[in-house]
Amino acid sequence: MTTTRKIRLAALLSVMGPGIIAGLSDDDPAGITTYSQLGAKFGYQMLWVLVLSTIALVIFQDLGARIGVVTRQGLIGLVRQKYGARSGTLSASALIIANFGTLTAEFAGIAVAGELFGISRFITVPAGALVVSFLVLRGSFANVEKVFFALSAIFISYIVAGFMAHPDWGQAVRGVFVPSMPFTHDAIYLATATLGTTLAPWGLAFIQSYAVDKRLTRDDLKLLRIDVWTGSLLTGIIGFFVVITCAATLNKQGITDITDASQAAQALEPLAGTLAKALFAIGLVGAALLAASILPLSTAYSVGDLTGQPAALDDGPKEAPLFYATFGVMTVLASGLILIPGLPLIKVLVFTQILNAILLLPLLLFMFGISKDERLMGEFASSSRMRIVYGAIIALVATCVLALLWFSLKG
Amino acid sequence: MSADTISLMKAPTKKPIARVVNTVERAVGRRDLVLARKGIRDSVVSLAGLLGCPVTNEDGREIGRLVDVVVKHGQDAYPPVSGLIVKVGLRRSFIDGARIAKLERHQIQLSSTTINLTDYKRRSDESLLDADVLDHQIVDVNGLRVVRSSDLYLAPLDKEIRVVGVDISFVTFLRRIFPGALGRRATPQHVLDWATVASLADTSGVVRTSGSKTALSQLRPADLADLIEDLAGREQSALIEMLDPELAADALEEMEDEELQGLLRGLSEGRAAELLSRMEPDESAEVLRDLSDEHREDILKAMDVKMAKQLRQLIAFDETLAGGIMTTHMVFAQENDTVAQALARLVEHRDRDISDGVVIVDSKGKLIDHIQIIELVAAKSTALLNTLIGPPYPTSVQIDSPLEEVIEEFSNNRGASIVVIDEKGKPVGRILADDLVDALKPEEQQGLSKGTGALS
Repeated sequence: MTTTRKIRLAALLSVMGPGIIAGLSDDDPAGITTYSQLGAKFGYQMLWVLVLSTIALVIFQDLGARIGVVTRQGLIGLVRQKYGARSGTLSASALIIANFGTLTAEFAGIAVAGELFGISRFITVPAGALVVSFLVLRGSFANVEKVFFALSAIFISYIVAGFMAHPDWGQAVRGVFVPSMPFTHDAIYLATATLGTTLAPWGLAFIQSYAVDKRLTRDDLKLLRIDVWTGSLLTGIIGFFVVITCAATLNKQGITDITDASQAAQALEPLAGTLAKALFAIGLVGAALLAASILPLSTAYSVGDLTGQPAALDDGPKEAPLFYATFGVMTVLASGLILIPGLPLIKVLVFTQILNAILLLPLLLFMFGISKDERLMGEFASSSRMRIVYGAIIALVATCVLALLWFSLKG
Repeated sequence: MSADTISLMKAPTKKPIARVVNTVERAVGRRDLVLARKGIRDSVVSLAGLLGCPVTNEDGREIGRLVDVVVKHGQDAYPPVSGLIVKVGLRRSFIDGARIAKLERHQIQLSSTTINLTDYKRRSDESLLDADVLDHQIVDVNGLRVVRSSDLYLAPLDKEIRVVGVDISFVTFLRRIFPGALGRRATPQHVLDWATVASLADTSGVVRTSGSKTALSQLRPADLADLIEDLAGREQSALIEMLDPELAADALEEMEDEELQGLLRGLSEGRAAELLSRMEPDESAEVLRDLSDEHREDILKAMDVKMAKQLRQLIAFDETLAGGIMTTHMVFAQENDTVAQALARLVEHRDRDISDGVVIVDSKGKLIDHIQIIELVAAKSTALLNTLIGPPYPTSVQIDSPLEEVIEEFSNNRGASIVVIDEKGKPVGRILADDLVDALKPEEQQGLSKGTGALS
């Protein structure tokens, strides 16, 4: 009896587990734009950055799942417990700012998609905000979520497009295995954004809260890990094909700086021809809405985690004012920001991911600290070998951020 | 009132303290709650504010800075401070609680000029307020929820400094971010009396007679099960240790199987064995069946031999057979016993049994009849049981009868229970209607549909 249940659970998780949701939401407008820019600007040369980012994603998502299942507490609550009030508030603030940035990027994605068809962002962005608010406030969007999920899966078409664009496979392999990059501001900027969009802060908090909220037990951990690995690898694989598609099309055609979305959509032309724009726009909207409906929820959960009452999300505005306030303020501000006339959307999309990378640092350090705490993690505490891996990833993120800072100060 | 004292009365309170006290009153009784006393309220000191403050000797010269406060658990509802951990230079030292002369909001003065500094070693009946309690999860017994403590309040009580209250408000938490006096200012927004919360810092199980234990004992098993499921690891074990074993066993029966397995992994074999022996045997067997062979053996070995034997028998049966879902709890009687004896035996087993009658067996142990409790009550107490034997005779199934047959028998006879007999005709257990409900409950009700559903 137990086995049949396990299999059913496995089937469910493999179709739409939290890892896959997080994985596909990582390929949101900001992710696609950043990867496109990486391919357009540097061709195949910096594929290795994406590979490293994906490895980091797999490792830290896996850690997040483990912490959630073992401690049955969210990330922010644990930081508060272990490191006190100031660290708790710091980590919550980092997460809120990063999530706000990413939410802004989702609305930017919706605006970009609309503008591909000449629809003003003053129509598409408020409409997107209304749709998301309606779904979240109605409280049950499991079915609609599947639709978004399917729409965002359109980006899997990059895999097909990648093959049809006849990329230079030799160079692609070289780009994956030989780490080299021009030591310029632009290269560091995009490498940092790639790290920030792949290993997004919200995903780390989301996977952990999901395990806590669904009361997953140690017996579920194996399946959860399969799900997390699948989702994370999917992010990397889609990202890989976005980069090589753009390298084989845009970069080859001499478009090395994407300044508007129609250029990014051109990468899909070998596959879809004149439909490239439509395909790109639908994918953007689906991924944007999927992420935009999960982001405020995940953020509100973390805020509740800080206050010590994360389970209050089923309540109305009176019982859970903090949740509704977090949600409302984030949605209004993020969509409002995008409506500022003349805002360079593509630049905003990439910049939010730089912000992600910077804010990742404290969160990764706290996760590292929690992972080795035997009082919290018991037999699941990280081994000294894993600690070296975690440390190396944190050092990588820190190096990128510091290098970027150096270039920015140098001017 | 000096500037240093804190008044809960004057503080701006969103939720009136009176309301908190009232809800608390139900469980513990007002006179037991010290936070309701004005003298105590006026002299509380914030622990969060005190951390990092100077510790001085008798002459007012600073010896070091406060790192943590050690309290001793035991018989008291309000644990006394048994020592301080102070950072002297680079070293963390322990100072005995008896040396404290004055505890103020911004400093602690000791009663002697020369201080004996020793290294602190954790003792099992002590916990550290900052490392183990502050910002950790605690159980708000009246609110039936797991919350985080934002601050702890200390006050002199019965000649010692004790923890009297715990603040769980977010405003208090935010106050602590600020440096200096602003961070130290007590802002009691939502203070719970220490007697109404269960701190999970102590895993040794010494907190047995505190107020929180009294309050916990009044919860319904299902509510307790929810609280237990909200926790994990050390905290979860701590809550179990705190409970009366009988109550803990009742709560465990209400838990999901997977949760229960996880919980058992965190307990010692001895404690696990104790709790499982007190649960309904069929429920215990169901959990044990799903444990790893090694773990199951360890627990069974720690059990009373007779109980272990009975459980082994149950575990061996498949869940789709009568023997796999039956409960082995039965009250036996012989034909020649009197009604009074039978009733006495039922009363004797009342706390762990839900028997609605006695099973009558002959001298060889074979099933003769099942006599309902109502028949016993109606009969003369001196009457012999054999005068009550007669139709309707109880429905019985063989121990290896498949589930379908059990259902068939149930629906044919419309009874509340049926008796399970072995190949020799001896009764070995009963299947009650609720056992059948458990056996038929679809499995997909568990799994991913659990949780609050807050996150898609």
